[in-house]
Amino acid sequence: MIDEARLKILVDGAKYDVSCSSSGSRRKNKEGGVGNAAFGGICHSFTQDGRCISLLKMLLSNDCVFDCKYCPNRRGADVPRASIMPEELCELVMEFYRRNYIEGLFLSSAVRVSPDYTMELLLRTVKLLREVYRFNGYIHLKGIPHADPLLTQAAASYADRMSYNVELPSEQSLKLLAPQKTKESVLLPMRQLEEGRREAAALVKLRTGKTERKGTGKFLPAGQTTQMIVGASPESDGKILRLSEALYRRFSLKRVYFSSYIPVVKDPLLPQTSAGLLREHRLYQADWLMRFYGFDSGEIIPEGENLAMEYDPKSAWALRNMHLFPLEVNRASVEELLRVPGIGAKGAYKIVAARKFSTLTFEDLQKMRIVLKRARHFITCGGKFFGLEGEERVKAALSSAEFSENARQVSLFEGDKAGLLLPPSQTPKLELQVKSQKVQKFLLSSTPEIARSALDGQL
Amino acid sequence: MNRNIYCLDGERQSFFAAVFDAYNDQNAYLSSSANLQAELGDICIRVEENEEKTARVLKKLKTIDADAPFDIATILRNSAEDAPQTALEYIRETVKTGRSVKGKLSSPWVRRAMDLRGQVLSESHRLKGFLRFQETLNGVLYAACSPDHLVIDLLLPHFTVRLKGLAFVIHDVKRGLAAMYDGKSCVLVRAQNAELIVSDRESAFSSLWKKYYDTVNIGSRKNTRQQKNYMPVRYWKFLNENASGEKIDGENGE
Repeated sequence: MIDEARLKILVDGAKYDVSCSSSGSRRKNKEGGVGNAAFGGICHSFTQDGRCISLLKMLLSNDCVFDCKYCPNRRGADVPRASIMPEELCELVMEFYRRNYIEGLFLSSAVRVSPDYTMELLLRTVKLLREVYRFNGYIHLKGIPHADPLLTQAAASYADRMSYNVELPSEQSLKLLAPQKTKESVLLPMRQLEEGRREAAALVKLRTGKTERKGTGKFLPAGQTTQMIVGASPESDGKILRLSEALYRRFSLKRVYFSSYIPVVKDPLLPQTSAGLLREHRLYQADWLMRFYGFDSGEIIPEGENLAMEYDPKSAWALRNMHLFPLEVNRASVEELLRVPGIGAKGAYKIVAARKFSTLTFEDLQKMRIVLKRARHFITCGGKFFGLEGEERVKAALSSAEFSENARQVSLFEGDKAGLLLPPSQTPKLELQVKSQKVQKFLLSSTPEIARSALDGQL
Repeated sequence: MNRNIYCLDGERQSFFAAVFDAYNDQNAYLSSSANLQAELGDICIRVEENEEKTARVLKKLKTIDADAPFDIATILRNSAEDAPQTALEYIRETVKTGRSVKGKLSSPWVRRAMDLRGQVLSESHRLKGFLRFQETLNGVLYAACSPDHLVIDLLLPHFTVRLKGLAFVIHDVKRGLAAMYDGKSCVLVRAQNAELIVSDRESAFSSLWKKYYDTVNIGSRKNTRQQKNYMPVRYWKFLNENASGEKIDGENGE
């Protein structure tokens, strides 16, 4: 059994990896085995920093030959080193899992001896866990850059999800801060795994004639993710979002995680201050817009720019496109409603379901708990407008809505009038060019289960 | 206005019989709670289980909205005092409209019904994560909980698939109910207190878990508000990890 001191070292090394989700896989419990995967993911606990614990997040070893500047386990660092035997780890996973502490394993490792050696060790561990311990719970495996493609391929057949961390959003920054990593060392295995996944899906289609159900399949049912550090290098938000979008489209990534840089390590090449959580938050908001709201990166922000800190990216987009608003909630399509600041996926679907029964008034929306502090400036209900007029006033209201703690619901009779009746000519309909089928599918790539998890903050 | 209070016998079986009787009674108020504050002039009507009435109500409901029986059953699991009345109003609304009213959120009763339903389903989902099993000496896994609503039998399908072949007990301490699974089949029994003799390895893995919990936290990013949002404090009592982060006497906190 592993002792607490080693556990601490190995967990400390893995805990800055943001990914904790256990969603996306429908792995079944096979005869004689223990565990299965829940498609929507399950959180088992929450730590004091507000993050969820879903997986046992651990390194196999923190003894690294790489010398990435930002990493506390880099070769040059003077830290206690430890490793865990595959058998010890399997025992720990099984015992934790039976007690319902965890949903599965997140396994990563420092590059010990060589990439191939490490990847082989990871492969041996997951194979042991699946075949000998008959564990059918969730496994998220971190790929080791530069490892042999055959090892990667073999490991992927045991994992539910694999991820290679891009870490830094440009080649120059990688060269500077992570000299042993290159763009190719990360992107090539990602492409390889995506091709493997597509091949496996095509085989299923050939055999059964049906498209594989999401989350099933033998090869990485929960797909791939990646992570980028924000604020350690000079790249703009626009650049980061474009890279994310490309990764979503080309490698069908499930998630791109952003991790605001925390100065754990002192190095003259690294900034001494944390990038701040607000920037990370804004990037995630923009990321959600691309994945669940049908935006593309070009609409959100030009390449060289950073996201506005005063208000969220959807508000910023709406303020740039005031000519498209206000929208009549009783007529607008789901795609249009999704573009109204403050109305989320849940709200948009609620509105569409409710208006089938009766025309919705502003009061109805309030009672349905649609958050209106932002939305009221962009919608009309039955032709009535309840927001502020004039771009500057709206701007001010939006940024103060963002920072007011416990913002109260707007009152119907706030200000001077109980709703302004606009003539029909002033309620233009937002013409959204729903492009190709492919774009449409990209927008709706989420399932209700996934969306619920996303909204609950579990994804 | 005086109400005709239809007193359900505490079990949910009499609900549909009450719906049958009360449907056209505009002063009807359904209640299963013993501590209902009856007002002067209220008339109490005892309702007994009746298979024929139940079958007729269910048949009508199913022809209009196939999901309705499940939704009603879920609403009735909620421990809120107005759950039976809300369920009755939901049925009235469904019959009146002639199709599923799930999305009709401009109606206050539908809103309330969907809230009650959501509370039950979200608690059941939460407990799938927050339940903590302890291994007893004879290898049975035991987990206690005290949920707001009647959800432990909703957890069974999840855990019987996941822990197939392993015996476990999920004990609802608040209601004195235990769901027991022997590896093949499950039963729901009344159970007040459980005496537990844990296995030798239990404390070792429990403290490894506590260590893990403390280590994986990033201290510089304390955000207990978010923690409590996702994991309300009322669930902490049954967690073995130290969610509050307070130093416990007798332990040398590192």
